Amino acid sequence: MGVIARLASGADVPVFPVVAAGGRLAAEALRLLPGVRVEDTPRAATVLVVVGRLTRALLHPALVVHDQLPQPRATVWMPIGVDEAGDPEGLLSAFPSVTTVGAGDTAGLRTVFADLVSGVRASDSPALPDMEPAHWRGVGPYGHGGAGMTGGVPFGRPLPARAPDPDGLELDQLPLQLGPLHPGLPPGLVLHVGLQGDVVRHAEVGANPYQSWPGDPAPGPLDTATFVDALRLPTPVADLELARARHHLRWVAQALRLHGLEALGLRVAALGGSLSPTDRCTVQAVTRRLAGSRSLAWATAGVGVTDGGLLDGIETRLETGPVRRAAGDTGDARSDDPAYQGLGFEPVVHQGADAWARLRQRLAEATQAMDLAERAGMRVRDPGPALEGPRGTIRLDAAMPSTALCELLPALLAGSEWGDAVTTVASLDLDVEEAALARSGSAPASGGRIAGTPTGSGHQNGGRPGAGAR
Amino acid sequence: MAPFGAALAVVLAAGVAVLAGRWLPSSVSSVAMTAPERVPFLGGGLPEVHAWSRYHVRYYSMALLFLAFDMEMVFMYPWAVVFVEEGAIALVEMLMFITILVLGILYAWREGALRWA
Amino acid sequence: MLLVGATLGLGAYAVAVLDGVGARVAAGGRLRLMDIAAGPLRRAALLARTSRSTTERPDLQAWALAPAIVAGMAAAAVAAVPFGPGIAVADVDDGIVLFGAAMAVVMVGVYLHGWSANSPMPLVGGYRFIALALSYEMPLALVLIAAALPAESLAVGAIVESQHDLWNVVRQPLGLPLYLVAGTGLAFWGPLNGADGPDLAGGTSAEVSGPALLAWELARRFVLVAVAVVGAAVFLGGWQGPILPGPAWMALKTLALLAVLVWAGHRLARVRLERFVVVAWAVLIPLALVDVFVSGALAL
Repeated sequence: MGVIARLASGADVPVFPVVAAGGRLAAEALRLLPGVRVEDTPRAATVLVVVGRLTRALLHPALVVHDQLPQPRATVWMPIGVDEAGDPEGLLSAFPSVTTVGAGDTAGLRTVFADLVSGVRASDSPALPDMEPAHWRGVGPYGHGGAGMTGGVPFGRPLPARAPDPDGLELDQLPLQLGPLHPGLPPGLVLHVGLQGDVVRHAEVGANPYQSWPGDPAPGPLDTATFVDALRLPTPVADLELARARHHLRWVAQALRLHGLEALGLRVAALGGSLSPTDRCTVQAVTRRLAGSRSLAWATAGVGVTDGGLLDGIETRLETGPVRRAAGDTGDARSDDPAYQGLGFEPVVHQGADAWARLRQRLAEATQAMDLAERAGMRVRDPGPALEGPRGTIRLDAAMPSTALCELLPALLAGSEWGDAVTTVASLDLDVEEAALARSGSAPASGGRIAGTPTGSGHQNGGRPGAGAR
Repeated sequence: MAPFGAALAVVLAAGVAVLAGRWLPSSVSSVAMTAPERVPFLGGGLPEVHAWSRYHVRYYSMALLFLAFDMEMVFMYPWAVVFVEEGAIALVEMLMFITILVLGILYAWREGALRWA
Repeated sequence: MLLVGATLGLGAYAVAVLDGVGARVAAGGRLRLMDIAAGPLRRAALLARTSRSTTERPDLQAWALAPAIVAGMAAAAVAAVPFGPGIAVADVDDGIVLFGAAMAVVMVGVYLHGWSANSPMPLVGGYRFIALALSYEMPLALVLIAAALPAESLAVGAIVESQHDLWNVVRQPLGLPLYLVAGTGLAFWGPLNGADGPDLAGGTSAEVSGPALLAWELARRFVLVAVAVVGAAVFLGGWQGPILPGPAWMALKTLALLAVLVWAGHRLARVRLERFVVVAWAVLIPLALVDVFVSGALAL
């Protein structure tokens, strides 16, 4: 092995994650592993990491991304929870080779990488057949597939068609499907956008890749599993509030990454991953620092404003939640929850209804949750039909909050610059998997399946057993 | 002209070095890419059309403002060299000149040339 | 020639190490200095051994040329800076004009890099970069002109010598901060990284892999180094300083500026494009003009 190869096999493993069903928390935890580098584009990655259970709708996007990794490349599967045996449909066999590695097993990942770089392991061949998008070779007067000025399929694809522009111009508009594996969007979110330059002219949410085929098994465990479980099982209030703080800190970490503060985000993610009741002051300090950040205010203020009845104009009802409270609404299911009586609970509210208000809202709620967890002591919440989750009210018989949040997107994104669109989507904290659960239209049954998943709340801790069980 | 020649040589040498560094390693063991491997990255989606498109350079008014300003600034370079020699008169002259330009910025700003989203 | 190569090479490595330290400090993790020191070399080795990707019908020549243009311009800027009395590759009479011109051509290189992949994300990155770059080219040129006023010369060597009694960072307090803002933007670093941000899946570098990515990452760091080298000469008194030899002072001052730039990258959130443009025109350019005229009045 040459000097270069030896040096190269010691590099941080550049991975591109495919966040499959139940894999969101473990995929986020990848960023915290020493010696692992999560890349924004497959072109910069060496190892494709499939985290969780692959669904049929995710298979093709995953294969597309797989082929976009440069050589040498390898595919690794990190199964999550009870599905360890489970790829019941054999979807992973569509990849040229897959090595199973436990979630968070850096050594396993590194072995695959080092074998690959040193040549012990062969690089993956392409997964998709070598077929061009259209027949173009030798077609047309120049043999490049084009016809006339801008017609035909030059080099395999047509040129973009024109669409009106607000300035009264007719300009090219790119019809793009972004996601489900776009690093700027929540995992699984498929956006069909019309892009003119860097402006999103229109946006629609595409089919949910976590449950779009009839017969796909239910998704899960959700990142809000602790809350869904609490609808059916008595749960200590302190556990719920700690889970809430943990959830908001996780979200803050992701938002910071998209705002170019990845390292700071890692600090917040690490705090969230190992959060215990004694971290109250640390959470307060983080809140104070970020809520007082001029540069964050500058990057988010005035972006994604949910005013003008937007929150009431969607099909699914968004009852409560940080998005509503950041728009000045005091609604909070905890206000009427007997378990919270006498704890001095007052809903936190922010004005502004923009991404900056939502960021401060979640920071303030994380701090408040730490306070409540401390004050709640040993108090236990009895199962009840409705509960305030970190994204809004969760009910046994109604859609999850993420369903409503997804419905907000078309109106919020139309006309915004792409960077603002990404900020807006991130500020809503929507989880596509949670939306899939509601779409199945059988919330009680799905809820039951989640409640019956013993590892559900264990994953809420990002795989750190004991961190939440107090 | 000798220093300029040296500068040009440096530009060429650095450019060629980077070009060679970019080209050589993979041309040694070049692998032909399949069609799916060459698909632009959209996060798992496939593009329907080519990305090259006629888009609205919405900051064109700002770009024009830049052009105007940048041309005038060429005068400031020689001005800077003779400034101390010429004394206060040079300062006043340039101040007048720049004031007129700044009025231009203010006008453009008021007209919304810097707002384009 | 060797001087320029060594400066850029060592400087790029220093940026990578400083960035590693900065990221670890911001993330609150333990500093493992061996890993931080070896990390950039290991990554470079990995990229050199990875295949170079292409897209459907890219503009291959322009794609290859883009990092060469950016690196070449950074090299030209460094060549114009003397590292000691008379120690310069090309101490041209119009050093800061050369620097300004080189940095303007960087704009072309970055846009080409985004354009030539024929892919939507890089294209948007290139588009954004032009909007940002047009906004900070002006303050950059203005603060350099202000520094030339007391020197009565556009040569970098003369500007360094004019700071014999008092460094420009003190004499023209507006100069260095404005210069660093523009310099951050030129290397599309940290808060001004509109071209290669995570929201665009890597922006102009979303479609490059292996040696092409290595070349681009290097070229970008070369620009940051060139900005720091010129900044050290123009605002921090260049080679002047007690005890140590001139080149050592230059190296120290350059490293200090690089540390500031890298630190800011880990502390400040990425700016919104449109907001920054308004601030650049309505605040930065007027401030730069104030800098020019106050410096002029003081120089008389």
